[in-house]
Amino acid sequence: MLSLLRKIAATGRVAEPAPPPPEPAPPDLAGRVKALRGSAQVRCVDAGSCNGCEIEIGQAFGPVYDAERYGARIVASPRHADVLLVTGPVTRNMAEPLRRTYAATAEPRVVIAVGDCAIDCGEFAGGYGVEGAVGDVVPVDLSVPGCPPAPDQIVAALRRVTGR
Amino acid sequence: MSVNLVGTALATSAGLSGMAAAAALCSPVRVRVPMVGVLSALLGAAGLVAGGAALAGHGFSVRMPDLLPLAGISLQVDALSGVFLAVTGAVIIAASVYGIGYAAGPARGRLAQALWPLFAFSLLLVPAAASVSTLLVAWELMAIGSVLLVVSGDPADGRVREAGVWYAVMTHLGLVTILIGLVWLSAAAHTETFAGLRLAAAGVSPAVRGGVFVLLLLGFGSKAGMAPLHAWLPRAHPEAPSPVSALMSAAMVNLGVYGLIRFGLDLLGGGSRWWWLATLVLGALSAVYGIVQAAVANDLKRLLAYSTVENLGLILVGVGAAGVFEDSGHPLLAAAALTAALLHTATHAGFKTLLFLTAGSVLHATGTRDLDELGGLRARMPVTTALFALGALGAAALPGGAGFPSEWLLLQSLIHGLAVPGIVVVVVLPVAVGAIALSAGLAVATFVKALGTGFLAKPRSAAAEHAHEVSGTMRAGMGVVAAACVALAVVPGATAPALMRATAAALRGPGTSLALGATRQLTALGSTLSPLLVVALTLGAVLLLRAGLTLVSGRKRRRAPVPLWDCGAPPLTARMEYTATSFAEPLQRVFDDVLAPESDIDVTPHAESAYLVERIAYSRAVPDRVEHRLYNPVLHTVRRAGRAARALADGSVHRYLGYGFGSVVLLLIVLAAAQ
Repeated sequence: MLSLLRKIAATGRVAEPAPPPPEPAPPDLAGRVKALRGSAQVRCVDAGSCNGCEIEIGQAFGPVYDAERYGARIVASPRHADVLLVTGPVTRNMAEPLRRTYAATAEPRVVIAVGDCAIDCGEFAGGYGVEGAVGDVVPVDLSVPGCPPAPDQIVAALRRVTGR
Repeated sequence: MSVNLVGTALATSAGLSGMAAAAALCSPVRVRVPMVGVLSALLGAAGLVAGGAALAGHGFSVRMPDLLPLAGISLQVDALSGVFLAVTGAVIIAASVYGIGYAAGPARGRLAQALWPLFAFSLLLVPAAASVSTLLVAWELMAIGSVLLVVSGDPADGRVREAGVWYAVMTHLGLVTILIGLVWLSAAAHTETFAGLRLAAAGVSPAVRGGVFVLLLLGFGSKAGMAPLHAWLPRAHPEAPSPVSALMSAAMVNLGVYGLIRFGLDLLGGGSRWWWLATLVLGALSAVYGIVQAAVANDLKRLLAYSTVENLGLILVGVGAAGVFEDSGHPLLAAAALTAALLHTATHAGFKTLLFLTAGSVLHATGTRDLDELGGLRARMPVTTALFALGALGAAALPGGAGFPSEWLLLQSLIHGLAVPGIVVVVVLPVAVGAIALSAGLAVATFVKALGTGFLAKPRSAAAEHAHEVSGTMRAGMGVVAAACVALAVVPGATAPALMRATAAALRGPGTSLALGATRQLTALGSTLSPLLVVALTLGAVLLLRAGLTLVSGRKRRRAPVPLWDCGAPPLTARMEYTATSFAEPLQRVFDDVLAPESDIDVTPHAESAYLVERIAYSRAVPDRVEHRLYNPVLHTVRRAGRAARALADGSVHRYLGYGFGSVVLLLIVLAAAQ
């Protein structure tokens, strides 16, 4: 017991050095980032994605990238959320649910469009079932380009919202 | 002067009952219903005054030898009778006012309207009876009146008729056991007046007293819905018109308890310990069985009927505990337990009247009692919903509700009773405490189900969607009893002096122990004043929290109306809601062995392929298992015996003459042997 305590005392804290602080949020987002005070509850909305972005979001919240250590956390309902993480081109069937989800999210709310499709419909632009990009349906605050974007890019975008 | 108050009030109620019945028979239908309602409410008020005066310490005794052949009528009212008179009177007031707006169809007829005041008066007559013959007459009047009123709702409906037959048979079997018991007791004591019995009971042999008590326990217990003799309750109460259900469930069943207290504790003087242990055990059994059945019931009024079985079980636990404590020489504890039982009688009458009347409003507005088809009534019937919630709070025995002080007092008296020696007591009392706790917990689940699925969320049927708030008189009837419920919940201590007199009348212990009992009860009831504190503290805390939050947030938050969250895929439909069945499903699983539910899944495959399902039909029924296991074999045997007896009657006159001759000879031989 004593030896264990001694070992703990001798070793001290072992951790990776803290990463550099995130890029500051764009000016129109700054007020909301301040209001969130470093804690962002995230709701993912798949508006018609091929699920590639979902896999990367899964990795961003997995043990390697661990976005939760920066204060972002996945929740199960927009009623609990501050941030909407929207993926994919918005299909006709998902346009109304996306609008309703946005309306159901508590203010201050932030929308992040994840992936090329979410930004400009990507590969699916002009498709008969596509309503438009996420920005055509709800106001987008941040976007993460890539097809799919790498987990660290997603984490970087979330860090701009949490400010940590 | 004091004698006259009780007597005058009783005479007034008798006169009003006659007037109301005559008015019902003679007047046209438009005048009939309001007139009967008002006169019956006055009748109830007279009963309330009589009971209140008796509780205030005024006695009353009268003998009318010419009113009934041979025995005459004798009446006596003491504080114990006063409790039941007052409770019955109050229930009659509320139910009569309510009935003015409720009566429809056959219930507006001459006979049904004339029966109502007569039945109400017979309920007042039972606790005032002072001789065996008077009691039996009043009891039978009450039984006949209630049977006819049960079938008055819709005599053409097969289920109503079946309920009526069940109830008629069971109530008369109860009457027979009471009759045999009381006649046996009167014969052994050589008197039939209560005063005479009280003096002579000590001289009657213990075996006779024990036998009489068992018969009375069966007879009065069946009226009080004691398991396993409760089978008529969940049949008769749902089918009767709602004011009748309220009067039966909140006033009539109490008289079974009155009979047990009057004869067991007062006239027979306590008797042996096993009497009361049996009462206690059967009471605890009724409480748990009743509430388990209520928890899985889908029919709102059937649920309430089973809840009555539960609450009467709790009252019987209190009465049984009082008997055990009295027998063990603990008059203080006995007084506390009996006080709890009497207080629960009053509070149960309050919230059960309220619940049956609100259930009646729901039935009136929607035409259904099925919880799975209700819902959404909060927006359509706000007053009814609020009042049902108030009643449900009482029935769930939560602090702030009417049922809390009495159940709390009952638990307190049982827990303090653990000091009583005796191996059986040591086993039975903790089990009874557990049973009360279990039934209180299940009552919460039951009434959350009733309120949540019956009144909140979205309507599950067109009938519930087009519901409308009920008429003014019905709201007035419900409001009166709701006010009484709030009063009982907030200041139960106000009933302490009256209940003390009643327990003193029932236990008739020596003076010193009564004085001690008085202080003890005062302290015990004094602490039940805490409900007021609980309500005040809760309200205060909520207001403070609100004020604090407003201060902290600094400014008024902007409210943004948004559509209800429906997972983004509108519309939300009633099929997505919890139903009463699904809410009770976990409980049904837990009590699977007790309830033995019958569920059936019928899968119809598609015509083109056996692997495609076209339709799945699910049906579930929770029959009363006691009824299945206990009553069906008996009914079966009776039916077989009847069929066998048919062989005796083959139509031959000679054989019938032979039967007559044989039985006369047999009788003569028996008489000769007896000489």
